[in-house]
Amino acid sequence: MLEIATVFDFTRDAVILVVGLTAVLASLGVVLCSSPIYSALYLIGHMICLALLFLLYNAEFLAVVQIIVYAGAVMILFLFIIALLGGKKEIQENSFHRSMAITFVFILLGELYLSATVGPTKQIQGEIPAEMFGTAKAIGLELFSKHIVAFELASGLLLVAAVGVICLAKFSFAPLRRRTR
Amino acid sequence: MGEEFVLLISASIFCVGTAGFVIRKNPLIMFMSVELMLNSVNFLLVTYSSFLNSLDGQIFALMIMTVAAAEVVVGLAIILTIFRTRHDMDVDHIDVLKG
Repeated sequence: MLEIATVFDFTRDAVILVVGLTAVLASLGVVLCSSPIYSALYLIGHMICLALLFLLYNAEFLAVVQIIVYAGAVMILFLFIIALLGGKKEIQENSFHRSMAITFVFILLGELYLSATVGPTKQIQGEIPAEMFGTAKAIGLELFSKHIVAFELASGLLLVAAVGVICLAKFSFAPLRRRTR
Repeated sequence: MGEEFVLLISASIFCVGTAGFVIRKNPLIMFMSVELMLNSVNFLLVTYSSFLNSLDGQIFALMIMTVAAAEVVVGLAIILTIFRTRHDMDVDHIDVLKG
């Protein structure tokens, strides 16, 4: 006879496993697709998987922000740019640099995994989170009391980015001539 | 789910993003790979904030999202400007500054 709590934990673990593996597969799709429009669609899927994982780890406000900001605003921007520039297919050839890069990445992954398992990390005992952990109210209270400077600096950063983009878009530069050798 | 699984998922996504940034030549896909790397770090911050029962990680993830949004907007504007002057979408050909 299984306890209800055990069944709940098992189901949660299974859902986290499936969604996490889907996120990894979607990120592989982003990198391996030759057409940018498919990469963008895979990236949207990846963002949605990450939002689900945020929800499973008690971060409901960040999950909503992830959907609105990333899967909404940023990816719409990407899709507009792809539509404007024309998503041309890229010929992927196997070169020496490419195999070197893939080897490097596998070594990096192995090192990260070893440092996660072998290193002196001590087991974190899971406490039961508070009642409103990760809600908009809790995040807002924390943001406007403890991290108010960072919040104001972020507003300055966004303003500078907006002004910079207007400058880049408004003043067109003379076409650059490629120097002949 | 334990920490090892979370660390493995995050490291895999980060490494896939690094590979994409290194082997692709389309600047748009390179930007998407940078987004993958930022997202993997966000995921790690959120999960550890849940493990440690502290909201600081989530605030940090929010700040990373802000920086990523600003970075994407400026980067795409630069790509658009380059494309307007050169009509070419291969980063290997953008070598005007080279001596």
